[in-house]
Amino acid sequence: MNARALAGWTLAAVFVALATTNPVYRVLVALAALNVVLATLLPGRSARPLLRAVIFAALASVALNLLLSRAGDHAFAAVPAQVPLVAGPLTLESVAFGVTAAAGLCAAVLAVAPLSLSLEAHELVDALPRPLERTGAAVAAALNLVPGIATSFTAVREAQLMRGWRARRLSSWNEVLVPVVLTAIEDSIRLAEVMEARAFGSGRRVQFAKRGWSPRDTAVAGAAVMAVALFAYSRWRGSAGDWYPYPSLAWPDVDPLAVMACVLLAAPGLAWRSRRCGG
Amino acid sequence: MAIATLRRLTYEYPAAGRPALSGVELDLQPGLTLVTGASGSGKSTLLRLLNGLVPHFHGGAISGAASVLGLDVLQSRPRLLARHVGFVFDDPERQFVYGTVERDVAFALENVGLPANKQAERVEEALAAIGIGHLRRRRIASLSGGERQRVALAGAIALKPELVVLDEPATQLDEEGAQALACACERLLREGCSVVVAEHPPHRLAALADRELLVSGGTVAVVAACGQEPRAAPAREPRSGLVRPHGGTLVEARGLAVGATGTAVIQAVDFQLRGGEVVALRGPNGSGKTTLMRTLAGLLRPLAGSVSRPVRNIAYLPQNPSALLHQPTLAQEVNLTLLRRGTAERADDILQKLDLEHAAGRYPRDLSGGERQRAAIAAVLAGAPELVFLDEPTRGMDPDARGRLACLLQQLAGSGSGVVVATHDQLLAGAVANRTLVIRDGRVHEE
Repeated sequence: MNARALAGWTLAAVFVALATTNPVYRVLVALAALNVVLATLLPGRSARPLLRAVIFAALASVALNLLLSRAGDHAFAAVPAQVPLVAGPLTLESVAFGVTAAAGLCAAVLAVAPLSLSLEAHELVDALPRPLERTGAAVAAALNLVPGIATSFTAVREAQLMRGWRARRLSSWNEVLVPVVLTAIEDSIRLAEVMEARAFGSGRRVQFAKRGWSPRDTAVAGAAVMAVALFAYSRWRGSAGDWYPYPSLAWPDVDPLAVMACVLLAAPGLAWRSRRCGG
Repeated sequence: MAIATLRRLTYEYPAAGRPALSGVELDLQPGLTLVTGASGSGKSTLLRLLNGLVPHFHGGAISGAASVLGLDVLQSRPRLLARHVGFVFDDPERQFVYGTVERDVAFALENVGLPANKQAERVEEALAAIGIGHLRRRRIASLSGGERQRVALAGAIALKPELVVLDEPATQLDEEGAQALACACERLLREGCSVVVAEHPPHRLAALADRELLVSGGTVAVVAACGQEPRAAPAREPRSGLVRPHGGTLVEARGLAVGATGTAVIQAVDFQLRGGEVVALRGPNGSGKTTLMRTLAGLLRPLAGSVSRPVRNIAYLPQNPSALLHQPTLAQEVNLTLLRRGTAERADDILQKLDLEHAAGRYPRDLSGGERQRAAIAAVLAGAPELVFLDEPTRGMDPDARGRLACLLQQLAGSGSGVVVATHDQLLAGAVANRTLVIRDGRVHEE
């Protein structure tokens, strides 16, 4: 998929997810984005770590809101007064607000994820305007170092464990973090050396053949523009209003136009699947 | 006509205190030049001088004169020399800018502003010249070490340079990968490109070499000229014969299946290591040697089967020595291990065995590649561990250092320790191993 089309879709999905506090729309955007992530995943990449992180963040959001918010009419339990910071009633409203925040977070993260999971770094660079090409190439090269840092962390931790290191205090992590940081610095210096040895910065760059713009890219970009327009119109009309669970929990209103906008955001997933089916 | 000329060339890295190259006089003729010398002798510095990384990228003080293909190295930035000199680094993991083969090979072409349609042609030509056209659409991360080095070579020749410089390109490759790289170099020579390659023995390119340069203490000498067979560097032999296993079981695996990501890469492993035994683990890049060692060492959970280790004092050398080194001096690095093992041994003992006394007060990460490898070995083997796992311990090591390591491993075995060493180095395996296990098709076979 063309990086500019996908970037347009990402902007549209983030706009819809963050323009409302209505959990229905946020959940729909999150589902559409999840569909896109799974459908467009590059070979050799895994969505599992991202999904794990998103689920963890969502659960943390619900738990934090439940424990820290005291508002709401429907209390279902209480934390004893002896417990510092979190003592007080636990309400259904605080759970609902936590779920809404979590849905927004998930939708936004999943909407941005295809830029790294479905595109090579160089495809993003290709999508940059010409004046930013050289900077973009350097950024793309730097992004290639990121997976190495995770690998390096595992290697250093294992090596130090076998030398008798144990994570007892915060300061004991120096023995792991210092080599990881030093290795990352060495890797980036080596990368700069490699780039210099391969003529980076020697003159005006000309990009290698870019990925073309296909009718599917037009469909994806068109669907993204339509989604933003429909949702903005629905908001302007007042029918896709915000939703707050406090003081007393009530079902959120749902506007068919706004729902249609969210459904349109599933377009890249459908376009990708049709490409696969069509060979 | 010489492709490179150095006159009274002296170079010192910033804050090094002594020159890395000293008064070098050299006329480098076309063809294949083999550069040999001990770890830290200045081979990499000489090679980096040929494409201008020394002095322009690394800084430092330089005097004398150097020209490569008629260009004054002291006045020409590496990015300009890159049009004439291709460079391949030693580490197959750390020399790619982009994530896919085709795009990475095109990187230099993009940088010199070649029209896009010409770039595609050049990429195709470069891949074909190295014999890796089939890898064009692959992701770099999915390639083996040998494939990666060939992709790096394709990237280096895409600009059609007159000279290609390779800095220990096969040091981390299995036999097949190193052989493929040698074939690629042969093709370049046939097409009229000159090649300069730094390599420790065994010299796979010796038969093709027109001359051999020996770098020693910053000086450069031609030791075998055109038409002469490059000399074989003397290997330091272990002092005694193999130790016979004489202790109890140190590690035992039954029906073991191992894999780092949940999928088994090696299955049905039955393995036992006794005190005094040295086992070499061999197999192609990516066959699972490291994963098996990590599982035997207790760093990874087995996917099936069981591992028992009735000992506590275990040493593990990872493939990347930088994973260990973080203390201000090498002596402190070794002392940290000794302190943890609660032994009265002195750091000097193991540093002497590995010929590193001179580096005891130096920052370990400032050492050359081969010295850094020995520093990491000193840091893990200090304190007489009972069970030792070494992952590719000889990378970047010269023959003398390999010999010292072989002696040290035999001493450990003699004192009742058990050693498992994963290595492509047949010389080391032959010198120290009581038995060799080969990983093939997801199974471990005794050789």
